[in-house]
Amino acid sequence: MPGYIQVSASGLFWENTLFNVAVAAYILAMLSYLVHLFGKKEFGPFASFVLRLAFLLHTAFIITRTINVERVPFVGHFEFGNLFIWATVLVYIWTEWRLKDKYYAVGAFLTPLAVLYIGYLTVVPKIFTSVTISRLHSPLPPVLQSNWLKLHVSASVFGYAGFTLAFAAAVMWLLKVKMGERSSLARALPQTKVLEEYMYRASAFGFLFQSIMIISGAIWADTSWGRYWGWDPKEMWSLITWFVFAVYLHARFTRGWTGRRTVTLVMVGWVAMVFTWIGVAWLLTGIHSFG
Amino acid sequence: MSKGTSGLSKSQAQAESPVKQILNFLSSMQLGLILLLLLAITSVFATLRDNEAAITTIYRSWWFIGMMAFTALNLLLCTARRIGPMSRLALHPQRVVSSDAIGKMSVKRALKMNSEDIALDAARSAFHATGLTVTEEDGAEGRVVFAQRGKFGYFGSLITHISLLLILLGAMYGSLTGFEDRNGGIVGDHIDVEKGELHIDILDVRMEQEEDPTIRPRVFTEMIVKKDGREIAHGTVSINQPLRFAGNTIYHMTFRYVSDVRVKNLTTGEEEMVQLLDVDQLQLDADGTTVHIMQFFPNFSMHADGMPYSKNYKPERPVLAGILVEGGRAVRNVFLQLDTPVVIETANGEMELELTTFQNAAVFSITRNMGRPILVVGAVLLILGLYLSFFLFPRRFWAVYDKKIATLLIGGRSYRNRLGLEQDMERIESEISSREGE
Ligand code: HEM
Repeated sequence: MPGYIQVSASGLFWENTLFNVAVAAYILAMLSYLVHLFGKKEFGPFASFVLRLAFLLHTAFIITRTINVERVPFVGHFEFGNLFIWATVLVYIWTEWRLKDKYYAVGAFLTPLAVLYIGYLTVVPKIFTSVTISRLHSPLPPVLQSNWLKLHVSASVFGYAGFTLAFAAAVMWLLKVKMGERSSLARALPQTKVLEEYMYRASAFGFLFQSIMIISGAIWADTSWGRYWGWDPKEMWSLITWFVFAVYLHARFTRGWTGRRTVTLVMVGWVAMVFTWIGVAWLLTGIHSFG
Repeated sequence: MSKGTSGLSKSQAQAESPVKQILNFLSSMQLGLILLLLLAITSVFATLRDNEAAITTIYRSWWFIGMMAFTALNLLLCTARRIGPMSRLALHPQRVVSSDAIGKMSVKRALKMNSEDIALDAARSAFHATGLTVTEEDGAEGRVVFAQRGKFGYFGSLITHISLLLILLGAMYGSLTGFEDRNGGIVGDHIDVEKGELHIDILDVRMEQEEDPTIRPRVFTEMIVKKDGREIAHGTVSINQPLRFAGNTIYHMTFRYVSDVRVKNLTTGEEEMVQLLDVDQLQLDADGTTVHIMQFFPNFSMHADGMPYSKNYKPERPVLAGILVEGGRAVRNVFLQLDTPVVIETANGEMELELTTFQNAAVFSITRNMGRPILVVGAVLLILGLYLSFFLFPRRFWAVYDKKIATLLIGGRSYRNRLGLEQDMERIESEISSREGE
């Protein structure tokens, strides 16, 4: 018995238009950051401007969606994915603002990841028919009407945002080391030490929010289902992601690990995170398969 | 990381007795990391299996629980070992250092200045301007200005680890002393929950439609809970709103429709009322003529192919659907509409079935979890510990004036944030030089 909310034609128009324009702006921001990275330094401020604009458009889209669905836009892959991309860009813009223009290069790695996530929401379902990303406006079933859900989802998008940023820095580190100082591209990237620091900060940020997500999820499960932990695949994969980042954070500080080994751990952690989001929904089953 | 915080150094460890060595190994970070990785890898494989199977064969297996117990032991030992040294490091810093010691610090500056008073004064106010707490003491070589910030950051990892222990402990205690049960009923039912020696009286079961009738409605159950004949709780249970009392919780799980059906033998005129739920079977004669109840549809409709469905949860056209089975074979569908009798031929003669009313039964899960308060404390401490670990970074600075070379020496140490320490040092340096420029 699927039920959908009737959305006015203009509401629908604005929602779709704002989404499409925001996506276009994200792609333009990505291209500008890449041009900046490949030697045209003057594109940096422009790229940064376009990204902020794209972020505002995306914010407007999320607000429109909220109005259209008459509730928090927290449910299903489409809404969650959008929030998560939004949070990722927000955290990046914040670090760029704090750390200034030296860090434009990070944008050239972060924006492609954002575009990749958008691709999952838009292009992938067209190729794989088994992947359905519904954009329908469905109301919130009673079990999801809980304040813990709001905390749970808000924390998770910021956790995922931190891990995405950490992954971007890990990719940069790998490129820089692989290409050597001769390459002008490698020289355009921050020093490996700085990248490792960035990776650490982003991971720690993500880790804090991932922890809040797991805890609030457990409390919510307890009030709805009568148990904290059901060992279902979504819960387990978020725990696996958390374990991997815990190992990374410990190895870095107490064992003094640096370089390739920590970069590998962060990459594995990111893969686990993406699997928690995407893989669990399409490859494994559980009660979380709604989102 | 500064030296001397991780407990024993290598050379000390070699001289230890075997027992000490085993303890060292059990409390070591290496073991911790290996265990965490093992838990992660095992979990990956476990999620590839069917969930129920994974729970029984992996998550509840002795070796998985053993791994968790080892992790807990490792955490416990490592925390116990570090609590003393860590508190000393955090709360009793060495306030006086020599100029040699500053020379060995990872982040340091040597600034030419002519007067000791002016130099130390400059250091003091630069420290203040950087948000540090400043104290001073006389040492063998003269006055030492000491400044620090974020000392509670030292406790971050300890608190995080203690919180994890509490969470594990709470979960263990909860599952050892608690129980889990399922039960349900309609208005007026009295339920005995044997495991908890509880008795539930259902006073009311009320369904509230959502604005959108295709969404599963909410069901509110008012109940009184008694133990040893005494009332211990009274309240209403619905989705996301459990009733909690003394470590017990009653959660709404789902609801069912219960149909009241009048069964009348038209030949004899005998009549009885029966209550039917999904999957119940209503036997009509000794030959095995039976109605297998399939489902209750609050708003009955049929697809083009004859498949029945409910348009939504509005009780506009309630129908109880079943299958008539004779001699073990399904003969036809039986649809009982409200107040509309249906006649069925049986060996006992014609039987008339009529759906007269229907009501809701609520199904709950009843649990006892005495570990909940421990879990809550653990959860709060976990977040606090992570915050202290990652967002308060402890840093310390020392300033001394070396008269021989007329130089102000400043050294800094941090606890796991070299870059932040360097940034602070840059700020201190620029504060001092801007003062000099005045
Ligand atoms: C399993 C056994 C574990 C051991 C033996 C262990 C050991 C340690 C040690 C020795 C430190 C360094 C302490 C310091 O210098 O401040 C540390 C830090 C820390 N641990 Fe653990 N730990 C374990 C598990 C965990 C787990 C599961 C978490 C959860 C996420 C965790 C969270 C932290 C945090 C947040 C820090 C501080 C950050 C850092 O210094 O990197 N630990 N741990």
